[in-house]
Amino acid sequence: MSGMLTLGQLSPEEVRKEIIHTFEAGQHAYVHLSLFGIDISITKAVAFLWIGAAVTFLILFIGTRMLKDRPGAYQVIVEEIYGFGRNSLAGQMGDEGRKFFPYTLSLFIFLLVLNLIGLIPNSYPVTASITFTLGLAMLTFFISQYVGIRRNGLGGYVKAFVPPGLPLKIVFVPFMFFIEWISELSKPLTLAMRLYANILAGHLLIFIFLSFILYFGTYMAIISVPMALVLYAFEIFVAVLQAYIFAILTQVYIEIALYRQEH
Amino acid sequence: MLDPTGIFDFISTSLLFWEVITFAILLFLLYRYAFPPIREQIDKRQREIEGAIDEAQKTREEARELLAEYRRQIEEARGEGRRILEDARKQADAQRERTKKEARDEGDRIIQRARDEIGRERESAIREVRSEVAGMVIQASEQVLGRTVDHDEHERLVAQALDDLEAEVAGSSTGRGTA
Repeated sequence: MSGMLTLGQLSPEEVRKEIIHTFEAGQHAYVHLSLFGIDISITKAVAFLWIGAAVTFLILFIGTRMLKDRPGAYQVIVEEIYGFGRNSLAGQMGDEGRKFFPYTLSLFIFLLVLNLIGLIPNSYPVTASITFTLGLAMLTFFISQYVGIRRNGLGGYVKAFVPPGLPLKIVFVPFMFFIEWISELSKPLTLAMRLYANILAGHLLIFIFLSFILYFGTYMAIISVPMALVLYAFEIFVAVLQAYIFAILTQVYIEIALYRQEH
Repeated sequence: MLDPTGIFDFISTSLLFWEVITFAILLFLLYRYAFPPIREQIDKRQREIEGAIDEAQKTREEARELLAEYRRQIEEARGEGRRILEDARKQADAQRERTKKEARDEGDRIIQRARDEIGRERESAIREVRSEVAGMVIQASEQVLGRTVDHDEHERLVAQALDDLEAEVAGSSTGRGTA
């Protein structure tokens, strides 16, 4: 009875701290490091980033260690993952884009693993960090600009931003160029925001529902726990979906840049 | 670090720094150690499957040719059998005809022999009857005359009379077959 009262007696400020505890804990540095004055400490977030990368590598690497002519279940899964990258992610606009599918496939598995690891209690959802998602989105942006310029030439690539046949060229050409570049620059931002916001919102919702127990008392568990469970299950779906969206949009952006002149 | 709560941790230099390095290493490792063997394995199996399909097609082709060959052979054998049967039938027919003919000939020969025999028997019977008749006529004449008659003379007379009678019978019964 007293425990119930204690739970119900948390102040809003304390409840808020409980909700954002996971994200605060991500900032906790295990090892303080600094490079030219820039903080590169190994935080909890960095640790889970490494765990995710290691799991990603091991999933595929273990698969390659047991390749047989007559595949077992695990080999089929690994080959299916590979086939998914080769056949479903790649070649959205043309066959030339296919050579980028190992990159997008790696991205997909990496993000999926990080999303799912983030769902384990007391872990840290690395993909719920805007720094992380924006970093990958900028990588997508730079790669797409690079392949676009390399294939179309710098002049051809820049010119292709303006659609042909515009009236009143002196006004509309710079205008369209400006508009198109805003659109181009918004791509990595939306890419980063989509993943970050989806994962973060999912986690916050679960924590908020559970925090009702802290704020209103134990009887709220009747509502909070089922809701948190439903949201948790939904988060598993979101984890797969958002990883897929991020990967396939990366592939599409790269291929759009590749075929800039044709479209 | 602008946001101490960590919810909008923009920009966390440590995370960004380690992210770039980690992702670069991850990509390198995957490109180097994970993807090539998987691709090779998939391609290898694809080649094997294609090979197996080609092999199966070839085998099926062969089987079809073999079947056609066997069918042809069976057809030939059947034709051969029919021909042999035909020959045998013909031979049997010829044999039967020959046998029949032989039997007929044999029969004819037997009949001929029997006829000859009958003819000979008849001749001898007639001769016997004649001598019997002649003897009886002489005996009767001796009793009528009451004396012995010249046996040779009588016999000659009787023979002549019989010849005449015979000639008469033959003359009256011409057209009624042979005598």
